[in-house]
Amino acid sequence: MNMLDDLLKLPGAMAAFEFRGSGELLDHRIAHPDRINESVLDLLAHMCAANLSIATMQARGWEKVTGMEGFYPIKQFTLIGFDWSVVVSGLQRENYKQAGKFSLPPFTGVVMANEKADYEAAFAILERKEPVP
Amino acid sequence: MSIVTDLLAKPGVIAAGEYAYRGDRFSYRGALSEEHARMASIMCRATTMSVNMEASMLESLEPLNGFMPPRGWLVHGPNYSVCVVANVFCLLDNSNSSINEVVGFMRQALANIPADMI
Repeated sequence: MNMLDDLLKLPGAMAAFEFRGSGELLDHRIAHPDRINESVLDLLAHMCAANLSIATMQARGWEKVTGMEGFYPIKQFTLIGFDWSVVVSGLQRENYKQAGKFSLPPFTGVVMANEKADYEAAFAILERKEPVP
Repeated sequence: MSIVTDLLAKPGVIAAGEYAYRGDRFSYRGALSEEHARMASIMCRATTMSVNMEASMLESLEPLNGFMPPRGWLVHGPNYSVCVVANVFCLLDNSNSSINEVVGFMRQALANIPADMI
């Protein structure tokens, strides 16, 4: 089963999407087209790409300065909005890097309604080890 | 009890604190040095300001989405996580903490904190 389809089965899931490191939206699934659309996902993808990069820089710097390891590589970045949250991850890319691959898979994310959001369940799907071709 | 005290009582919370939106002060409790807590508060404030700017832009371009006003953000690393809601931050040890519980508690406890100082 495709990871996007699995993410869309999470409690309160409204949309799941894939995007490049540059923020370009590549693929998506929408569960509630009356509440969220492709244009929102496109902007979210750019926001999340930027925040993942900044968080990665901060984690790297924090580890170097404090000697406190365990922040890098960032597994997920989550933005908690007023009604919705978005969780994004590029962890699958780490598996490809470890396998010596130069062509990396996209980043993946899910939008969930806060009242039902299960962040740990979203993390578990995003951390699932997919086979590296 | 203050929210920082409540957070420190939760399993896996290593440190917790608050920062002023205008950036001129912070306070914290837990297993961090003063200098590291200062650094953490600066990074947390900067990211909070950034996600607020981004959500405002998203709201301008796509009104009535469910993100505005943003409540916080979360960075999940291999061993540690950072969770920020409003102007309160906490550092979590992933091995014995519940992200769902901490986020749920912070969202509820800080639901009425005004965001007009951002």
